[in-house]
Amino acid sequence: MKPKFMRLLSILTLAGVLLCWGPMPAQAAKIKVVTTLTDLADFAREVGGDLVEVHSLATGVEDTHGVPMKPSFVPIMNRADLLILVGFDCEHAFLPALLEASKNPRIQMGKSGYVDCSKGIVPRDVPKSTDHYQGDVHPYGNPHYILDPVLAKTAVGNIYNALVEFDPQHQADFSRNRDAYLAKLDAKIAEWKKEVVPLKGLKFVSYHEHWPYFAERFGMVYFGTIELKPGIDPTPRHIEELISSMKAEHVSIVLREPQFPEKVPKQIAEQTGATLVTLPIMPGGIPNTETYIKMEDEIIRGLLAAEQAQKAAHAMK
Amino acid sequence: MRTVIALVFLFVFSSCAFAQTTEERLEKLEKALKSQEQTIQELKALQRTVKKQEQTIEEQRKLIEKLTAKEKQAEPSGPPATAEAPQPVVAEVQQQVEELKEQVNSVAEAQQKKLPSEFNPAIGLVGETIFSYRSKDSKATGSDRPGGWDVNQRSVELNIAASVDPFAKGYAVLNASADPITGEATLGVEEAAIQTTSLPDNLELKAGRFFGEFGRLAYIHDHELPFVNRPLVLDQYIGGESRTDGAQLNWLLPIEHYVSLTAGVGDGFGSVPNDVNDNSNGNFRNFGGLSFFGRGSTSFDLTPDLSLEPGISGLLNPKTTDRGGVLAQPNGTPVTLPQFPGSNLSQTERSLEGVDLTLSWKPLSSNQFQSIIWGTEVLHSGNSYDVTPTSGGAKFSPFISSVDSYGMYTYLTYKWSREWSGGFLFQWVEDSWNNADRTFSYSPYITWALSHWNQLRLQYTYTEPNAVSGLRPDSAVYLQWDWIIGSHSHGWQQR
Repeated sequence: MKPKFMRLLSILTLAGVLLCWGPMPAQAAKIKVVTTLTDLADFAREVGGDLVEVHSLATGVEDTHGVPMKPSFVPIMNRADLLILVGFDCEHAFLPALLEASKNPRIQMGKSGYVDCSKGIVPRDVPKSTDHYQGDVHPYGNPHYILDPVLAKTAVGNIYNALVEFDPQHQADFSRNRDAYLAKLDAKIAEWKKEVVPLKGLKFVSYHEHWPYFAERFGMVYFGTIELKPGIDPTPRHIEELISSMKAEHVSIVLREPQFPEKVPKQIAEQTGATLVTLPIMPGGIPNTETYIKMEDEIIRGLLAAEQAQKAAHAMK
Repeated sequence: MRTVIALVFLFVFSSCAFAQTTEERLEKLEKALKSQEQTIQELKALQRTVKKQEQTIEEQRKLIEKLTAKEKQAEPSGPPATAEAPQPVVAEVQQQVEELKEQVNSVAEAQQKKLPSEFNPAIGLVGETIFSYRSKDSKATGSDRPGGWDVNQRSVELNIAASVDPFAKGYAVLNASADPITGEATLGVEEAAIQTTSLPDNLELKAGRFFGEFGRLAYIHDHELPFVNRPLVLDQYIGGESRTDGAQLNWLLPIEHYVSLTAGVGDGFGSVPNDVNDNSNGNFRNFGGLSFFGRGSTSFDLTPDLSLEPGISGLLNPKTTDRGGVLAQPNGTPVTLPQFPGSNLSQTERSLEGVDLTLSWKPLSSNQFQSIIWGTEVLHSGNSYDVTPTSGGAKFSPFISSVDSYGMYTYLTYKWSREWSGGFLFQWVEDSWNNADRTFSYSPYITWALSHWNQLRLQYTYTEPNAVSGLRPDSAVYLQWDWIIGSHSHGWQQR
């Protein structure tokens, strides 16, 4: 018995010693912020300035609902002072398990370090039922409000409140940073609203329902999704029906988020005569979209280009 | 007669009591309705107040603007000292409005939670049906499944989970699994445990009945496996799932690199009662009869898309004599040492050591549509057995036999779309009481996930025991259909 018991003990001790052989964490000087998505990371950096150290779980190219659960996230979350998330169950597929694994009581749901940016947002498309007949439905409503820059300001405000609560001594700094960023954002919103005038009333479809808030803000018409239901790939019948309804309703743009395969959106665009455009859903999704403002710039530029292409195509006919 | 009268009285009184209870319930319901109506009225009143306060603020603002303009006209070069005076008033009113808004929101939110079911835990149900064909019967394969065509409702699993309080969560998995021979489903508690959520120093304690952390797939439920059947080495050396009645402590090391260590102790380890290891739960035992287990795991991000997760595990059950029982194969045949026909074996000591490695390629931009997972686990089993003669069998003096055996499985799963994936599983295992008895197995499989909650898997398995085993090669085809209703979320272990 003894040799085997000693062997087990040795294995565990050796594992502990070997695996512990790593650098100890540096002394915390900055507020350690972990965000689920890159847009929130951008906001946190803008408001927190030099006082925060921000790490985003997503790099920007992932699906907002499908960030891979990497073990390397766990120590980062374990040391975090604040966890900033989109909310409305947007991160349901990866965040609950990561939160549990992080063993960080400061950022668990209900604690002050758990910063839900959806606070104060009135959700769209709240389902009457959460039955899976409706697919991977979001029980609290559509969580993709941040693509609307006006609603994004609410997220900025929530981040500001969380930073002030965590570090009230630097309220003046956070306040100055927030005001500066919001002023910049307001100026851009005014600019975007002028730019999107040709897009008013333009109908478009996308792979996933990322765009209802954005469409409403800029006067576009969000026609529907390529996927059958949230999280469920389109069936041939759905594609067929979508194509015929798009033709009937003159839907001119097929918007593909880079996280989804190109094949079906391309097929739909070809068969309907719509223009296919690939646009990001968070900063870093495509090149030149490192910040939220750059991403919105790129989205509007892409949509305008698609609209121009449509006009040119009609003119050719 | 007295009994009859007493029964009549009892019936009458109990009926009255029931009637009273119904009336009381109705009254309570009416009261609750009235109370809700009152609350709604109060809410409306609050909303009106908020609107009024907002109007007041607007009026105050306009007043301030007017005053400021007048001041500027009167003293164009002077500082706006007087203009600042009303600001505290505005700030105060604004604060009041904010407070009122918060009150309204909280009351509105509370009103939304009007169903008693709001307080129920998350509940999900998993069903798993296996359609199969095996070329040989169970006598030839040593399996608990019959030969020929077979439909097996392998499990109906009820998952329940919720927070216990701010310090712990609780969960239970009740499984109605079908008896392999009769097909009758028996409901059992597969897991029921409490798990702390707020221990300091990155610690987490779990206690109750649960799947102890050992290896990579031993603590994963059947329907979450990447293939149809649990690997042979886990079935033989652990006894299926790593179920234990006990406690385990997990520690996330406070360093920048992910390292997780777990140590636990349990009454038995393995979920199949009366299997070859006979270490199932239940009954009293001495300290040495407990099972001690542990696991260490870490992870390396080789590239943003590629990660490597190695782990080591150990299990020790130092003294199992008092567990007693004669070892039997899954099909019920008593285990016998070939050189001593008719001998009985009972286990006295059990140890297991394992190494596992998982290499995952998940492109960040399309990880839901594309991935490759390569998983491997190698186990060493060291067992001691009391070998005793039986009447009618070979005559010899009882002795202790120690056996070292090895086994492993390795699989590669390629996912090429959200719905489709396929892979190959190779297995090799030496019998835990006779290491000359070896089995090889080869299984290609393909999975069609119609959605996250509805999945079909087709698998072919060729099993080839060597001559020592006395068993015959066997071909099997499985069609597995899994479905989930209600709440279902993948935990950290199922990532």
